[in-house]
Amino acid sequence: MASKWAAELGCLRPLVTSIEVGGVTVAVVPARERPEVGGSTIGLTQSGGRRRMASRPPFWMMVPAVLLLLMIVVTPFLLSIYTSFIKLDQYTIANWTRAPWVGLENYVTAFSQGNALGASALQSVWVSVTFSLATTLIITPVGIVAALLVNKPFRGRGAVRAMFLIPYVLPVFVNAIMWRLLFMNGWGLVDQMLANLHLASLNTFWLIGPKSFWAMVIADVWASWPFIYLMVLAGLQGISEELYESAWLDGATHWRSFFSITLPMLRPILGLALLLSTLNHFNNFTLPFVMFGTPPAPQADVLPLNVYITSFQTFNFGLGAAMSLLTLIIMMVPAFFYIRMLRLGEATS
Amino acid sequence: MVMSQRNSRFRMGQVLTVLTLGTAVTLTGCGGGTVSPNQANGGSGSSQTPITIHVFVGKDTAQPQAQVQLYHKLTKEFEQSNPGITVRWSTYASASEENTTLQTSLATKQGPDIFELGSTIVPTASATNGFHVLTTQDWLALGGRSKFFPAQLTMSGPSSSQDIGVPEYMLPFDLVYNKKLFTQAGIQSPPTTWTEFVQDAQKMTDPAKHQWGTVMDPSDPYDPWHIGWVLTKQLGGDFLSSDAKTATLNSQASVQALTFWFDWLTQFHIVSPNSLTYKSADELHAFESGRIGMLVMQGPTLMPSLNTSPVKNDYAFAPMPTIPYGMTSLPAGGVPVETFVSGQYLCIPNYVTGQTLQATLKWLKFVTQVPQQQAFFQAYGYMPANLNAYNNYAPLDTPTMKSFVTAEKNAYPTPFSGAWGNLEVIYGGVASKVANEIATNSYNAANIGKYLKTANAQVQASLQ
Repeated sequence: MASKWAAELGCLRPLVTSIEVGGVTVAVVPARERPEVGGSTIGLTQSGGRRRMASRPPFWMMVPAVLLLLMIVVTPFLLSIYTSFIKLDQYTIANWTRAPWVGLENYVTAFSQGNALGASALQSVWVSVTFSLATTLIITPVGIVAALLVNKPFRGRGAVRAMFLIPYVLPVFVNAIMWRLLFMNGWGLVDQMLANLHLASLNTFWLIGPKSFWAMVIADVWASWPFIYLMVLAGLQGISEELYESAWLDGATHWRSFFSITLPMLRPILGLALLLSTLNHFNNFTLPFVMFGTPPAPQADVLPLNVYITSFQTFNFGLGAAMSLLTLIIMMVPAFFYIRMLRLGEATS
Repeated sequence: MVMSQRNSRFRMGQVLTVLTLGTAVTLTGCGGGTVSPNQANGGSGSSQTPITIHVFVGKDTAQPQAQVQLYHKLTKEFEQSNPGITVRWSTYASASEENTTLQTSLATKQGPDIFELGSTIVPTASATNGFHVLTTQDWLALGGRSKFFPAQLTMSGPSSSQDIGVPEYMLPFDLVYNKKLFTQAGIQSPPTTWTEFVQDAQKMTDPAKHQWGTVMDPSDPYDPWHIGWVLTKQLGGDFLSSDAKTATLNSQASVQALTFWFDWLTQFHIVSPNSLTYKSADELHAFESGRIGMLVMQGPTLMPSLNTSPVKNDYAFAPMPTIPYGMTSLPAGGVPVETFVSGQYLCIPNYVTGQTLQATLKWLKFVTQVPQQQAFFQAYGYMPANLNAYNNYAPLDTPTMKSFVTAEKNAYPTPFSGAWGNLEVIYGGVASKVANEIATNSYNAANIGKYLKTANAQVQASLQ
């Protein structure tokens, strides 16, 4: 704002620009406008080579981070790729570097149907995709409504905001055990309630059979809607009240303001929240593992659980690695959009 | 400009060198370069070199505090009588944790120095070739093979010259029943045939009172194969051929066995439909409520929990029925299996060498001696694998314990195959699928054969 006023007054060239970060105005001085001391720009030396050195970012400082990334991400990733092409099982694990090479056999097996143990990998992909999408679609309106409810000040708002976070701060396994008990057949609270309301039989199975999918969705929705709520609440703080006042003066209703101001302004943060939420739900292992145990119903046999059973319970690490890499490829689709969105954000800013 | 490019290349080269070396060091660190405690202690050090051995045992979830106290006492005694050796111990709470630690330790060649493994995972451990094969000298150092129950030794290794496991304690299975419900139903004695079992269960079943003759847990990952294998053996079949080269899960006997188990719910109505979602703990919880007449395939480790439950004065153990349903004697090829050889074994990975290996053998000898074996029983009801522990020891001279000892003497070993672990999980998958069908009213008994056929192919693929 300061630079704008200066330009309008015509007294000064806008040497100083400013940005607002968290309510604090920070002055930014363009590089070419840096004051000179003793004939040279501050921070630069007389020598051309040294000047270039000083102006170049100190890449060497990244070496520890790169080394850590190599150790924690790149090496296991390369090992996973290698493992997916070998027959690594109980017969070869003690000497895994000499496990026989089987080419694409593990990938073919991952795609083949007829798994006696729960679902096939393909079926698990479908379960995971539908689970993550269904959960995200349900929690989005819930989170937005909750954020809007506590955005305006009212008595006890702090307490309500804290209460909203309870499902989110509960450990996942506690949540899973709680819902397992609620969904127990016959004596679980859900069956008891449905039977009392004459909506379903007392013998409505939620932990096995097709309804296990919805049991998993319900449990995850309960635990994860505060994530969207938090993101939206943060986004709402950035929308100027003046916009709503202008809209109100122009005769806009609350609905119109919501759809024409709130939602468009929330779009970037909501997009990010939906992407992160989808990725988190896709990778959810603990909830189905604790809620259903192994083997889960095929309808609740999400890909991470299937990979775990294949690798660690049946000792078939080659197949497990192939399934993990398939997961990675699937996850790269939303990840691609996520990275693109970040770049878009950088370009815009 | 030229200078700058050279500098740039030089610096890039330096960075690449650092990265390469760093990665090499890192990879070496991840691999065999790391010195594990056992390696540090192994080799040709002097006898004065302090040695630490790491023992990895199953957690006693029923009485964890008793386990802590006992191990504290045992390690103290051992360290006093073996100066220079320190014992550290840790526990695993589930079969999954046991498997995961086993796998990572073998792959990285570092980890615990002694594994306590279940009898049915010992064949898998043996198949890895990652465990120390006990020599004649080793057995002699342990006090000889003759001090153990002979049946327990059948699961120590594929043959007596390839043993990897030392029996620590045994867990034979029996039938546990509610005496009060038996009396109320006018039943005089526990069933000896499966026909009697069904009849007795029907007498005790009263859905209006939420009272059922028996209970099942098809959603448990491991329990289904226990009952399935015993029934299959009684019917003259097995899950694998005698040479453990061919899977026979789809045999007539196997299909008949699993069908009979689910008939408890679908035909005889002697179990609650709630059972379909049960796991092992749920099954026990149901029995402890006092509304279940009989619970099959249960070991002595159940007793501490039962003794603190509402049925603490009403339960008793009896041998499992051995005559198949609808028959008066065993069919051709059928064997009177009451239990499979079950228990815990102590195994030493072959990355443990030198003095550490000798130290681990000393610990194995120590915990399989009579006083320590009796201490295990006193602390949490684990039945000694040492035959001599039963001599003149009143707590093990009770009708219940005698019933278990008889069951142990009639125990049959499961096929010693490296794929047995896979088979257990795959069989659990079949039981789960059938339970799913029943729960959704889409059950067709003919599908059991279909599922077992698919399972058979999967097991066959994992056989060596």
